[in-house]
Amino acid sequence: MINLTNIEKVYRTSSIETLALNNINLNIRKGEFVSIMGPSGCGKSTLLNIMGLLDEPSKGTVELDGQRVSTYHDKELARLRNEKIGFIFQSFHLINDLSVVDNVEIPLLYRSTNGKPRQTYAKEALEKVGLSNRIKHFPKQLSGGQKQRVAIARAIVGKPEIILADEPTGNLDSAMGNEIMNILQGLNDEGATIIMVTHDETMAKRTHRLIRLFDGTQVQ
Amino acid sequence: MIRHLFKLIWNKKKAHSLLLVEIWASFLVLFGLTSLIVYNVRNYREPLGFEYQNAWAISLKSNEDTTELAQKIEMILQRVKAYPEVESASRMSNNFPFSQSSRNNGIDYNKKHVLADFYVTDENYAKTMVIPVVEGHWYRSADSVGKYSPVVINRKLKEELFGDEKPVGKIISERFKVTGVVNTFKSKGEFMVDKPALFELVDAKSPWDDLLMIRVKPGTDAVFEAKMVKAITTMVAGWSVEVDHLTDSRKTTHNLTLVPVIIFLIVSGFLLINVALGLFGVLNLSIAKRRGEIGLRRALGATGNGISQQFISEILVLATFALLIGLLFAMQFPLMNVFDIQAGIYLTAIAISVVVIYGIVTLCALFPSRLAARIQPAVALHEE
Repeated sequence: MINLTNIEKVYRTSSIETLALNNINLNIRKGEFVSIMGPSGCGKSTLLNIMGLLDEPSKGTVELDGQRVSTYHDKELARLRNEKIGFIFQSFHLINDLSVVDNVEIPLLYRSTNGKPRQTYAKEALEKVGLSNRIKHFPKQLSGGQKQRVAIARAIVGKPEIILADEPTGNLDSAMGNEIMNILQGLNDEGATIIMVTHDETMAKRTHRLIRLFDGTQVQ
Repeated sequence: MIRHLFKLIWNKKKAHSLLLVEIWASFLVLFGLTSLIVYNVRNYREPLGFEYQNAWAISLKSNEDTTELAQKIEMILQRVKAYPEVESASRMSNNFPFSQSSRNNGIDYNKKHVLADFYVTDENYAKTMVIPVVEGHWYRSADSVGKYSPVVINRKLKEELFGDEKPVGKIISERFKVTGVVNTFKSKGEFMVDKPALFELVDAKSPWDDLLMIRVKPGTDAVFEAKMVKAITTMVAGWSVEVDHLTDSRKTTHNLTLVPVIIFLIVSGFLLINVALGLFGVLNLSIAKRRGEIGLRRALGATGNGISQQFISEILVLATFALLIGLLFAMQFPLMNVFDIQAGIYLTAIAISVVVIYGIVTLCALFPSRLAARIQPAVALHEE
């Protein structure tokens, strides 16, 4: 599903060159639930951004469903992100000026889905994460766990094959974290491929495979 | 997407209220300015109705002299006509073209009442001022028979009094008989609105209409003017004579119209520049504050161009809100016929103002929105 070969990522400023990822080779199969662990600054998020087509590697190739994406233009990459990938972030990234249902609808806006089906899909996604009674609320009126569930609903509303979660439980207490993890496991059981960055060994143990990074290099 | 943007703007209405007021106020000021400009441009495009080049107005003041004034004015007129430099001369009331004087009166016909500018002139006036007569003929002394005084009217007065009827030969206000129709006569210059006007034959025995209009040959200079003034003052001792060249009077009249417009234009220009800079600043700040959202939208499927279009569309939606409120005010002007100005002028001004406001906000949004399009999604998401 996702194939990374000899990935290297270097951040350059006028005076400093930082090697964020070095010679990463990784193959994620369809339906896998993979966790990525490592100390802060080891390149976990950079790796996730490269897999999510939000960033380009300095060297190496990224293949999605057997297609090399390095030659793709902005428009094609945006379409792939929209149709194939769902993102969940540690800080939720909800738009405070939009209601819960409007936040969830956003990926469908970029597919030009019409208003009524858009709202139906968004409500279905919210029902799946147990938030169908909060659709008119605004993010500021929700708890951390509820916000993350909205973010999950937004990630799954377009029925993507891949879900990339960057520390989805990082801002939540353990009970709420477990609840989010249950939702993710449920999605994986339904066939979604999930790649999750986490600092929590307990959460990582619940996934199929663990990838450990240290100083930009894959150590496990 | 538009609905989404409307929701986004509506939910942030408090934060956008000052911006809304700013765009609304700019629209109203622009509407005022464009109404003034459209009004003057429309007037300017209407023909003046006479030729002002080489035309001079000679004002005669008898001062202490009170005897045989009409005969003396006639004598001066004949003397002026005798100069080879003078192509044509005529006598008229003191509201000569481009002067600050005006005279008007009500005219009645078939229960219609129209207020018209009155000019008292002699039979040579059309020739002197090169006024084309489009129907009938310019009055002659011979037309002054019976109890009716011959008059010539302009097209505007004809339309308001007679509509589609033929006016020549008709009696108006029970004392005037129409002998002819001229097209336009805008005595206050090109910027004047084409108003109803009536020319009445001067009474040769009247001492009041003591102004002479003359048309001189091209190239006639101040030497002749001095010679003519000297001759007149010699003929009528104690009288004062003043000569106005209509080209100079026209400039003065134009300045009276254009100076307020230019001042308004400058003030409005500064206001619009301030609004544009304000919008530019607010948009830049907004983009800086919404980097996380930009990163998120890119992650969810927006292209760089899509982000750019979103920011431009947002400001256009905001401008639309402000313009809708502005239109509620502006539309009252044509509906209530404010200042008795044609509705078409207000509607044109509204259309121009709307286009200019949309143009300004789009221009102000272009650069910040391009900056937003260049934001790297991974970097923006990480910053948040």
